Order: sequence, then C-alpha cells, then structure tokens
Amino acid sequence: MLESTNQRITSVGIDIGTTTTQLVISQLTIENTASGTLVPRVEITDKEVIHRSQIYFTPLLDRDLINAAAVSQIVESEYQAAGLTPEMIDTGAVIITGETAKKENAKAIIDALAGFAGDFVVATAGANLEAIYAGKGSGAAQYSAQRHQVTVNIDVGGGTSNYAVFHEGKAVDSSCINVGGHLIEFDRQGDRITYISEPAKIALESTGQRLQAGERVTLPQLRPIVKAMAECVVDVLKTSTHVGLTKELLMTPPLQLAQSIRKVMISGGVADYVYALNGPTTMAEVTAFGDFGPLLGWELRVSLEKAGFVLEKPNETVRATVIGTGTQSVNLSGSTIHLQENTLPLRNVMVISPFISTIPETPQKIAEVVKTQMLRLQVDHSEGVVAIAMRGPRTMSFADISILAQGLLLGLEDYLSTDKPLIIVIEADCGKVLGQCISASANRSLEMVCIDQLEVENCDYIDIGKPLMGGRVVPVVLKTLVFNR
Amino acid sequence: MAVANNELEKVIIQSVMEELAKKGLLSQKGKDHVMSAAMMDTPIVPNTESKEMVTFPPQEEMQISNPFNADAVKAMKKLTPARIGIGRAGTRPKTMSLLRFLADHAVAQDAVFLDVSEEFLQRMNLMSVQSAAASKDEFLQRPDLGRRLSVEAVKTVSEKCEKNVQVQILIVDGLSSSAIEANIPDLLPALMQGLKSSGIKVGAPFFVKNGRVWIQDHVASIVNSDLIISLIGERPGLGTAESLSAYMIYRPNENTVEADRTVISNIHKGGIPPAEAGAHLTDVIKQILAAKASGVKLNQQK
Repeated sequence: MLESTNQRITSVGIDIGTTTTQLVISQLTIENTASGTLVPRVEITDKEVIHRSQIYFTPLLDRDLINAAAVSQIVESEYQAAGLTPEMIDTGAVIITGETAKKENAKAIIDALAGFAGDFVVATAGANLEAIYAGKGSGAAQYSAQRHQVTVNIDVGGGTSNYAVFHEGKAVDSSCINVGGHLIEFDRQGDRITYISEPAKIALESTGQRLQAGERVTLPQLRPIVKAMAECVVDVLKTSTHVGLTKELLMTPPLQLAQSIRKVMISGGVADYVYALNGPTTMAEVTAFGDFGPLLGWELRVSLEKAGFVLEKPNETVRATVIGTGTQSVNLSGSTIHLQENTLPLRNVMVISPFISTIPETPQKIAEVVKTQMLRLQVDHSEGVVAIAMRGPRTMSFADISILAQGLLLGLEDYLSTDKPLIIVIEADCGKVLGQCISASANRSLEMVCIDQLEVENCDYIDIGKPLMGGRVVPVVLKTLVFNR
Repeated sequence: MAVANNELEKVIIQSVMEELAKKGLLSQKGKDHVMSAAMMDTPIVPNTESKEMVTFPPQEEMQISNPFNADAVKAMKKLTPARIGIGRAGTRPKTMSLLRFLADHAVAQDAVFLDVSEEFLQRMNLMSVQSAAASKDEFLQRPDLGRRLSVEAVKTVSEKCEKNVQVQILIVDGLSSSAIEANIPDLLPALMQGLKSSGIKVGAPFFVKNGRVWIQDHVASIVNSDLIISLIGERPGLGTAESLSAYMIYRPNENTVEADRTVISNIHKGGIPPAEAGAHLTDVIKQILAAKASGVKLNQQK
C-alpha cells in the first residue's frame, strides 16, 4: 500500500511547423493536494522546462514533404544534449502544424519517431489544438485567468496564423487563417522573389498586384500585400462575418466572438517583430530570413493598434507552441477512478460521444443509442479500441448511475464480446462509482478503464498513460488528428 | 422619544417591505400582512395559512454596483461558496445578502434541531435506535450521553444485529439530520455494492438518533465487528448544512483515541458527490482491513 505523496514525470513536446522544428523537454510534478481528511485530489503542481532545443529549419524533401529521417535525427541529438534516453520520457506529444500538416507527413513522422521517441509520444496535428497549445505556451491562457479578461493569442508562423481565445484560463474559441511570414520566399537579405505560395497569390490578386517568382521588388511594392494580409488577421478579431480576401484565406470557421476581445498576444516566429521598437526600413531587413516575416509582424502591430486592440507581451514568442505542447498536453484524470486493466498505456483510442444532450431514462434506451453509434463506426472502418465519452449520468443519484452502467453494458455487448477493453471517459465526478456499477452488473470480469473529470468533447483520439500515484490517476493526452475539419 | 422611535421603526419596516415587493420577493398580500401588524403595534403573528415562499436571486449573482471588473468578481465567486462580491449599503449588508444570511442560518439550525424523519428511515429500511441522550436539548448539552447507546438500544442491538461481521455501518444524525437525508440514499447503496463486490461481510446498517462519533466504539463492543464506520452529519455551516463525514475505526477498545480514526469529510453534492464517495470509501475500508489499523496507525504503515 505504498503511496508516495508526489511523483515526477518527464514530458516531451515536439513542434514541426512549416518553417521551424523545435523540441522542449519538461518535468511535471504531480501531487495529492487534498488534506488528509478529504478525498485525494491529484494535480500537476509544477511544470519546469528542463531542455529547450535549438530552433531548426524544418527539414524538407520537397516543398510539401517533410524529411522524417532528418526530423528523427534532430530529436535524437536533442535527447543526447539533454542527457536523456527515450525510456526516460513518460509522455508528450508531437504536433505537426501549418502547411506541413498533411496526412502523408504525419504518417511518416509517426513511423520515424516510433522507435525512440519514448513509449508514449505520438503525432498530433490540428489547427485548433495548435492554437490552444500556442496560447497556453505564450501565457495568454494564464493572463486571462489572472486578469479576468478575455484574451486572444494569435500564433503567427510561417504559413498560418492560429487564434485561440481564452476566458478565465480556458480556451473558448479558435480559428485559423492562411497568413504567415513565409508565404513568399526571397533571396536572403535580398530583394528577388524565389517562391510565391498559393495563399500569397490570392492576396496578390485581391490587391491587384502582379508579382512573380524571379522578380525583384521594392519595399513600397511589397508593403501593400503584406498590409492586406495583416488586415485580414485583424478582421477576424472584429467580426464573425467575412467577405473578400479574409473569407478566402480563412481555413476554419471564423472566431465566434461571443465575448468581445480587447487584449491580444502574438506568438510565433513573427511575434518578435510585432513587439519591436521600429519596423523594417530596407528590403534586406525584411528578408533577413528569406521571407517577409519582419514586415508582416510590423504591419500586424500597426493594424491591431489602429483597430483599438491592446497588445500584451507574451512570455514566449517563437517557442510558445512547443512549450505549450511539452508542458500542457498532459491532462490528469480525476482522482477517484476505476481501473481494472493490464492494457495501459493505450494510444490513439478513438473517442465517440454517443449522447447528444441528456442521457436517456432507461438502460434499454441508452443501449439503443450506443448500439447505433457502434454500428455506424463499423460501417466506417475501425475495428480498434474506442472510448465512450459523456458529460455525466442523468443525475448524480446512485440509481441513475446504475442505469447508465447497465445501458452501457447492454449497448456494448457486441464490442465487448471481442475481448476489447471497456473505456469510459466521463466529465462528472463519478468515474469510480460508475466503474463499480459496471463491474457489479457484468457477469464476468472485464478489462475496464473508467476515468472522470476530463472534457473530451472536441477531440478525436486520446492516449491514456500508465497509472500514476499508486493507481489514483492516469495521464491523458487529448488529440485532434484531422487538420481543417 | 419612544413615539419617535416607534415612528422611525415603522418607516424602516415600510421601506424594507417596499424594497422586497419591488424586487418581486414578497407578494402584495405578504407585504400588507406585515405592514398592518407594524402599524397596529401588535406583534406579528405568522400567517400560517400562507404557503408563500421567498425566492432568492441565484447565489452566483454579483451584487456589487459599478464593479471595476465584473468578470473578476464572478470568477472569484465561482471558487468559493463564501459570501464575497455581495456589495454593501453604506457600512451594512444589502437587504438581499442579510436575508440570505438569516435564511442560511435558519437552514443550519433546522439541520441540527430537526430529526431524521420516520418516513425516511422506513424508505431506507433502517432499524433505528437512540443514544443515551433522550432529547435534542440533552444531546446538545451533554456530549457524553451522545457517545453511548441507551439501555434499550443496547438490548436491541445485541438481539437484532449480526455479530462478528467484518464491517458494521452506522448512520448517525450527529449535528445534521439534513446531511443524512440528502446523502445516504446515494452513498449507502454505492458503499454496500462496493463492499459486496469485494466479498466483504457486512452487518445490516442501522440508524442512531442523537448520536456522536464515539458511539461507534460502544456499538463495536457489542457487535464485535472488525471495522465500524459511522456516516454522520457534520456541524452545519452557512455554506452548506448537508455535509456528511465518514469515521472509520479498526477494532476500537478502551484505549482508543481520536487519532485512531480515519475520516473522510465533505461528502455532499458540492464536495465529493455521495455516490462517488461510497465507491471511494470501499477502497479505504479495504485498506484498513488489510492493514488491521486505522487513523494515524494506518498512515504510518503506508
């Protein structure tokens, strides 16, 4: 019955973006913070970044394909620099972002990193998640909770700008627009265009300019198009109905703006130029990195200030996403849960939420809903393990929890007959008693993971780690794999 | 002077009543009733025919006028049931917060002075016995009496309870009957199910009226169980009157001290939900049985 009062886990975050690739390793301390006479409450009490990698240019095979082998070399050498071996990594996430978030890239990277990136690290992508990690890494989430003000973080990278709106520390809205500092490429410190990406061509068309790869440009020629892009970024903060260029460049539904925004933080590679004292005055300054990032940053600041937004300085700029990924990707389940398993850790468990609003009244009706969902899944594809997610039982009464348990068992009869583990993720604090009820209703012993106090509404897949703190909690990574859905 | 005071009193009563009526918290009829009593200088006789209920605005409503940052107050209010963000009228509380305070105090007093209803005990199928304290007053004035069973109760327990079980469950009103009625219907079945699934032998749970924590030692001496657990109403506060604690002890005897008990407190819908607490208590009981110790002795073994 040995129960330590705290435990440390090592988490890795890897961000593979359009332009740069980075890695951070952090150490999370988890502790039971409840006093002796209360039910335990295990929380992450400290997050310390113990290693920051260099910022690498993302190794590419061609314009769209990532050189996964080179990425794995980067990871390997950074582990060495940090003095860690893959076995010492407990958890974490790889996030593939922006333009590079294509399916073939994700697959290649999962394969390339599977061998040595730790037992638990997996590829994750998705504009929403990237935006949220960036906002957590930059400090916008914390700022919104400390100052009690709605704060938006815009992570402006090479290919995309990702918005995450935070209210009291929680992400409430997110969006993504195809504006970034690397959409037009130049000779370094020169004025000759070497490449114009599709979204930049759209922007050029809308400003009526004709620029082509190979041409030389002056600052006054370049400025209008960069300004137009910057204004698109700011438009998204002003209204939720869009026309013209903004509409064309939006990659996801726009921000809902349910709460009005005044405070803005910018992170990402372009951010340092947003907060610079002066804007670039020569083409050589603009194209210092072979793109127009410095100019975009400056124009963004001008547009934001003109529109009356207040700019706040982030804690992290270019490293915000990777720090967010490394320190914020791990969630802990509630501290009273039901585990009866030998299968953890589990990776890429598909999450299904069968109940749209409230849970039906009888076990039969609950079973019907679950069965319908499971059938749909079979038609689609998957023979894999699934997690059934829900808000809570109809009420928190023991009777309703029992009914839910019976309904779930009945609805999952076929699934369980194939000896797959039963995985339940419930938001209300009743995971332990629900698991106990399921166990009592089943007439045989089940492999079961019944965890609570996790919101998984917006995610597609979860990873569930090995139990920590003597089986009190499990670490969970929530993932959205589909980009631009 | 007396007359002047009287007049002033009337004016105050009138303006309070009007304020309440304006906020829709008091019907015209209710207001007239109170006013006429005030005007005639007769003590108010409660209008027992009226079933009128006063409805308070939701507790999370922010009462500060012209706050600098309303979101901040709302966020803080979410973190605590304490009376913050209630504003003020001069140096005093606003009418609404004062009334809420009085109402919560009344709820707390009811929790202590009311009995757990017969109907509830029947519905839960609980045998009922009483401590040596014959009335609520005696219970409150004489803590020692609440710590042992009445002569009659000793007889009932020795005759009716199963002996030498692993676990005996007591439900004790303690200082909050409301906590019993609010939590036991969800806690007890969850706990019984958990113990049964774990193959633990449990005696039939029963109820003790006017009981305190230590009464478990007396019961254990009669039923000779390995572990005895009391689910007892906590002293009510102004935040909640429905909080329940579980006190567990392994084989108490005459040398038993407070540190020998393991306690899980704060069981109510705003703390740990009662059904989840039942499942958690099963784990704690298993630990105590395995360690053959409770309280500090159990923690030292961990």
